[in-house]
Amino acid sequence: MDFHINFAHLHLLLNHVPILGTIIAIALFLISFCGKNGDLRRASLIIFAGVALVTIPTFVSGFGAQVNIVHQPGVSAPLIQRHLGSAMLSFWFMEITGGLAIAGLWQLHRTSNIARWNVLSVLFVSLLTIGLMARTGNTGGDIRHPEVWDSKEAPVQDTGIGSLLQAFEPAPDKFIKAMGISKFETAFLMDLHFFGLTLIVGTVGALNLRILGFAKQMPLAPIHKFIPWALLGLGINVTTGMLVLIGMPAYYTFDIAVWCKLLALMLLGLNAAAFYLTGVFGELEQVKAGEDAAVPAKIVAAFSMCLWFAVIMFGRYIQSFQDTII
Amino acid sequence: MEVPLFLSKIEDSGISTWLRETESPFGFYFFLLLHNIGLSLAVGMSVFIGFRLLGFAPDLPVAPLKKFFKILWAGAWISFGSGLVLLLSYPTKALTNPLFYVKLALIGTGVWITLRMEKLVSDCESAGEEVTLIKGKALAARALVVWLFAITAGRLLAYTFRYLLYGQQG
Repeated sequence: MDFHINFAHLHLLLNHVPILGTIIAIALFLISFCGKNGDLRRASLIIFAGVALVTIPTFVSGFGAQVNIVHQPGVSAPLIQRHLGSAMLSFWFMEITGGLAIAGLWQLHRTSNIARWNVLSVLFVSLLTIGLMARTGNTGGDIRHPEVWDSKEAPVQDTGIGSLLQAFEPAPDKFIKAMGISKFETAFLMDLHFFGLTLIVGTVGALNLRILGFAKQMPLAPIHKFIPWALLGLGINVTTGMLVLIGMPAYYTFDIAVWCKLLALMLLGLNAAAFYLTGVFGELEQVKAGEDAAVPAKIVAAFSMCLWFAVIMFGRYIQSFQDTII
Repeated sequence: MEVPLFLSKIEDSGISTWLRETESPFGFYFFLLLHNIGLSLAVGMSVFIGFRLLGFAPDLPVAPLKKFFKILWAGAWISFGSGLVLLLSYPTKALTNPLFYVKLALIGTGVWITLRMEKLVSDCESAGEEVTLIKGKALAARALVVWLFAITAGRLLAYTFRYLLYGQQG
C-alpha cells in the first residue's frame, strides 16, 4: 500500500507558521506588559505552545522536501544543508519556548500569576527563537529564490550575523550521524520514550477515566494536579522521538504511520484547546466526589483516549509501514 | 551452549511462521501493539497510584485508588497474553537471551510489590489514610524503580539478542 505526499508542497504550507506565529506571539507577549494585560499574555503563551506543536511536522516535512528537490536543476545541495543546519537549531529553541509557555500557562491556572523567572525566560528564549526562525526562513528562501541573493553566487558562506549564527548551528550530516551512531543510543532514547508514555497514560488516562465516570468517589480537581507529569512525559517524548527521527530521517519521513501519528498529536493539541479554552475545564474543577462530569467534558475525554490510542498504535506500526510514501 | 531443538520446532509451526511472515496488520506488530498498550496501562496506573502514595496531590483520597488496580491488572493480563504470542513468534530470540530472564524476574518482583500495594490500598478504609501513606511510600518507590528496570530490560531485548531464529545469528 503506497501513499503520496508532496513534501515540498506540505513544507511550503507549514513553514510560515513557526515564523509568523512566533512574531504574533511575541508581539502579544510584549504588548501584554503595557497595563499588565493578563488575557493577552495568556493568549500569547497559547500561541507559543500551538506554534511549537506545528513546528514538529514543519521540521519533518523539510526532510521529505529535501529529497523531492535536491536533484532538480538549479537547486544547490550546500544551500539545503545550510537551511537544515539552521532549522535544526531553531527547531529546538521553538520547542523550548513552547515548553516554557506551557509551564507559564500552568502557573497561570494554579495561581493566576506567572513567576518572574518564567516571564523572563519566555521573553529571552522567544527573542532568540524569532532571530533563529528568521534565519531559517531566509536560508530556506535562498534555496529556490536566487532573486533574493545579495550576489550572483549562492550564499553558502554567511557574513555578519549570519556567520555568527552559523557557528552555533550543527553540521546536519554530523548531527544525523551522531544521532544514529549506536544501537544502544537508540535503545536508550526509545526506553525514555516509553517512560514518557507511561507518565502520560498514568496521568491523562486516570483523568479521562474519571471524567468518563470511572472511580466516581474521587473529586476531579486533585486528579488534574497530575497533569504536569503528563507534560513532562510529552516533553520527554517529543525530545526523544525527534532525536531518533533525526538519526534516521529517510526511514521515518517516508513512513505513513509517522504522519498519522503526527496528525493524531496535532488533533490532541486541538482537543486540549477545546478542553481548556471553551469552559469545559472550568466546570470540571467543581466536580466533587460522587458527581458526574458534564457531557461536553466526556466527549473531550473520549476523544483524548482515542487519540492517545492512535498515537501509540501508529508509533508501534512505524516499522511495518516503512517506505509507504512515494 | 547448544540451542535446544524444540525452539526450531516451535518456529516451524504454522502459527509462529504466520505471525512472523504475514503481511496482515494483525500479525506480529499487532501483538507488539497490544503488549505496549497493556504495559503502558499497567505501569501507567502504577505511576498514578505510586505518585499518590508518595505524597503527591494530598487532597486526593487514597481509598478509591483501589479501582485503578482493575485497569492495572487488565493491562498486565493484556501484556502477559500478547507477550506469550510474541514469544511464540521468536522463541529462540527471547529464550537464548539472558536479559529475557532478567526481565521476567523483574516483572515477577513488580507484580509481587503491586499485590502488596493493592492490599494496602484496599485496607485503607479500616487502617486510615495516614497509616496507608506511611507504609505505602516505600512500596510505591520500589514499584516504580522495578518497573523502570523491567521496561529497560524489555526494551533492550530488541538490541541484545544473539539469535534471531534457530540457527540464524542476529
